Amino acid sequence: MATTPSSQPIVHLSNVDKDYKLGAVTVTALRQVSLEIAPGEFTVIAGPSGSGKTTLLNLIGCVDVATRGQVIVAGQDTGKLAEGDLTRLRLNALGFIFQSFNLVGVLDAFQNVEFPLLLQKKMNAAQRKERVMDLLNRVGIAEYAHHRPGELSGGQRQRVAIARALVTLPRIVLADEPTANLDSVTGNQILDLMQELNREGTTFLFSTHDPKVVSRAGRVVRLVDGRIVAEETAEQYQTRQA
Amino acid sequence: MILIHIALRNLLTHKVKSAIVGGLLVFAAFLIIVGLSLISSIDSSMSKSIVNSVAAHIQLQQKGAKDELSIFGQMGSNEIGYIHNFPEIRKALEALPEVAAVVPQGIDSSIVFGGNVLDVKLEALRNAVKAGDKIQTDVVRRHVRRMVALLDDELKNLKGFTDQEKMSDDMKSGLVDVTQANQPAFWDSFDQDPYSHLEFLENKIAKMAIGEDMLMLRYVGTDTERFRQVFDRFEMVDGTPIPPGQRGFLFNKFTYEEQVKHKTARRLDKIRDRLAEGAKVATDEEIKQWIKLNRTQYKEITFQLDDVATDAVKAALQAELASQETDLAKLVDAFMDVNDANFAKRYALFYKVIAPKIRLYGIRVGDTMTINGFSQSGYATTVNVKMFGTFRFHGLDRSTMAGAFNILDLMTYRDLLGYMTADKKAEIAKLQAESGVKELKRDSAEDELFGKGGGEVVEDTSDATPAQAAAATPTDAPAAATPTVVAAGNGGTGAKAFAKSLESHVYSQAEIDGGVIRNIAIMLKPGVDVKDGMIAVNRLIDENKFELKALDWRAASGLVGNFIGVIYAVLAFSIFIIFLVSLVIINNSLVMSTLERTREIGTMRAIGAQRTEILWMFVVEAFVMAIVFGAIGCAFGYGLVAYFGHFGLLAGNDFMVFLSGGPRFYPALPPWGLPVAMLAVMIVTLISTLYPAWLAMRITPLAAMQDSE
Ligand SMILES: Nc1ncnc2c1ncn2[C@@H]1O[C@H](COP(=O)(O)OP(=O)(O)O)[C@@H](O)[C@H]1O
Ligand SMILES: [Mg+2]
Repeated sequence: MATTPSSQPIVHLSNVDKDYKLGAVTVTALRQVSLEIAPGEFTVIAGPSGSGKTTLLNLIGCVDVATRGQVIVAGQDTGKLAEGDLTRLRLNALGFIFQSFNLVGVLDAFQNVEFPLLLQKKMNAAQRKERVMDLLNRVGIAEYAHHRPGELSGGQRQRVAIARALVTLPRIVLADEPTANLDSVTGNQILDLMQELNREGTTFLFSTHDPKVVSRAGRVVRLVDGRIVAEETAEQYQTRQA
Repeated sequence: MILIHIALRNLLTHKVKSAIVGGLLVFAAFLIIVGLSLISSIDSSMSKSIVNSVAAHIQLQQKGAKDELSIFGQMGSNEIGYIHNFPEIRKALEALPEVAAVVPQGIDSSIVFGGNVLDVKLEALRNAVKAGDKIQTDVVRRHVRRMVALLDDELKNLKGFTDQEKMSDDMKSGLVDVTQANQPAFWDSFDQDPYSHLEFLENKIAKMAIGEDMLMLRYVGTDTERFRQVFDRFEMVDGTPIPPGQRGFLFNKFTYEEQVKHKTARRLDKIRDRLAEGAKVATDEEIKQWIKLNRTQYKEITFQLDDVATDAVKAALQAELASQETDLAKLVDAFMDVNDANFAKRYALFYKVIAPKIRLYGIRVGDTMTINGFSQSGYATTVNVKMFGTFRFHGLDRSTMAGAFNILDLMTYRDLLGYMTADKKAEIAKLQAESGVKELKRDSAEDELFGKGGGEVVEDTSDATPAQAAAATPTDAPAAATPTVVAAGNGGTGAKAFAKSLESHVYSQAEIDGGVIRNIAIMLKPGVDVKDGMIAVNRLIDENKFELKALDWRAASGLVGNFIGVIYAVLAFSIFIIFLVSLVIINNSLVMSTLERTREIGTMRAIGAQRTEILWMFVVEAFVMAIVFGAIGCAFGYGLVAYFGHFGLLAGNDFMVFLSGGPRFYPALPPWGLPVAMLAVMIVTLISTLYPAWLAMRITPLAAMQDSE
């Protein structure tokens, strides 16, 4: 797992541009972005709304491809992969946490967490159950295993989503503004959980526009108008904010 | 599998969509099940009606004939051709392992006069005179005299309306005869020479008599014995079957009741049946009409009663009506004015008191009846034949279609058909030229025989067998060649004796098989598929170069056989429409729900679900819908079919009786009904899922990322 520091970064971006074409107009959402994420990091992408955080995470998350430059995820150049291979890469190497949780409404917590394992088709039912329950325990909602998302609070749903992101033991978990739809107390609890999981070895890369959340990160990548303007530690960020 | 789970949960979650889609699928499955049950049950019961009454499984007719055989089709002689080599064909067919029996047939219609009451009374009078029974002679003579008086009245009436110039000489002299017979002098001298008086009445007056019903009878000329054995729906009602090898006629009970029965009695029967079905006299227009006819047609009864019977009926009616009325006509009129309250009593009284005194059936078991045919070449043929009894096709008692078929022996059938080969025609023409047609014109018998057509009443004997030749001996038949000559109806005593001798003549199987027929019915062995039977028969026809065309019962029965095809088409069309509508609606509602699920599907894609897995999810969902709702629909449909299959559905009319092969219709689901219904529902569901599934496959993982605030 990602605990052992490795010379090999999980994510490597070099001189990445991303253009969106809106008819005749081209919006450049990312410019000359270069970035490396090493195993074990707890990195935040900070920036105001519209600065390109989601765009950057989508490129790293293999749900979109760069217009120029290179995006290497788990050793694979995503620009050269076919649709099916990208999907497989997402399934096996990445975990996703969404701003609005995005659980499957008709499945209960257990089934939602189990879903990626079913797609992987690697485990039998007993193994799956063990893994799922282990994760539900770690995110603290094992008792709600058979509740459907509609019956859970926002924080509980995000915990289910975190468990789902981690269930395949991904190289990195990507979270686009994971606390934006939560009140600050619950948001803090979720960040506590993510930090705890990071200490246990999971690499996190998440985004936020909330300065209070930024302060929780180990490393801060500051994004303004699609450019990385600063790389700093949380301490540096805090002193600068102060 | 999680996909099934998601599919099921989706069904439960999206209630409106499920209700719409489910309702349609349930309805479609229901319709298919019920429709298939109806059709296959009608098909099999109708096939039994058709196959086991007249048509058998396969029919053969002459190849290249102008008209196609249409057994239950329209009346009248159609040009379906002739078959001459039946013995040879029969032998070949019976050697086939598929064939159980082969029956020669010919279907035709002819006119029969349904009993002349005066004729009957004259016979009674002759018997009374012969027996020397003074009292009986007196009673019957008075009745006959009254009938003659009535007849004279009617004819004088008629004379007032018709143009004298246009009347035939026969008619004119007939009128004079009747007037003469109505003179007191004629009756005063009766006792002095009863036989010559009787002769005069029999030969000159009876033919002028009114009240003769003209019946148009449809019959199957056939090997009666074999017919009886092969068609298992056939069963005797009254009388006896025609003895093997003999000439004879059997009435279908349905025709017999409908056409031969005394009109007043028949109308009373109909009123009884209608009331039994729950109708009321006051509200049923048809019952009212029948009652009115019974009252105005009182003569149907009074005409038939002699003095003794008149007194008895008067007394009974006076008692029933509590009336002092002495005019029988008025009594009958009042008696026939029935209502709901008194009908049952009067019906019983009619059958107890009046029916035994009248001629309840114009032609009775044991009577010799005269059939007036109209041969293919257009001249009249007349044959006397004995009526042995009545029969019915089991379960089809009430069917007009099956009920129209009476049965006639083949020898008589051929006489009526008057078919002959070109050789024979020439031979007859030559004979006639030699003997001189005029000389033969001795009486009406010969008139009929060698009338307008030029004496073409000769059977095809070109391939006469030794047995046939042997039959034509003077002892068996006074006339020249027994099976070849036809006896005439109203002929003199010579013709009657000749007819009698024909009646008792027993024909050999070779004679029966040897002549011309029109079509051949082939009954297959149990379990043999009609298609296989057709293949075998067609191969046999080819191998032997028979000039024959084979038709399965469906084709041979005419329009009725196609009826099932029409129902099939109607059902198929309505199912098609239902499916088309379902397709559009299901498709629409699935597209809507797919759009609603865009984020969810995008999330699945982001998490790592492949496009094909999304497709599978939709396919599984479609299958789950099809199975769940299809099963519900099938269950409903099956329930309905099973209910009626158990209790039966009353066949509303004659045609329905024929279709259901009995008075009640018992639908049953064919074994392949369920799979077909389920398959159809699945196909529809799958097709309606195609477009939404394609839309879903195009949803990208990005759909999961875009935040909806
Ligand atoms: N699908 C898109 N089409 C066109 N423009 C887009 C699209 N997604 C993002 N953008 C634009 O790219 C820029 C960066 O957006 P985004 O990555 O969503 O920023 P953030 O997540 O930091 O708010 C914005 O100007 C936005 O308008
Ligand atoms: Mg964003």
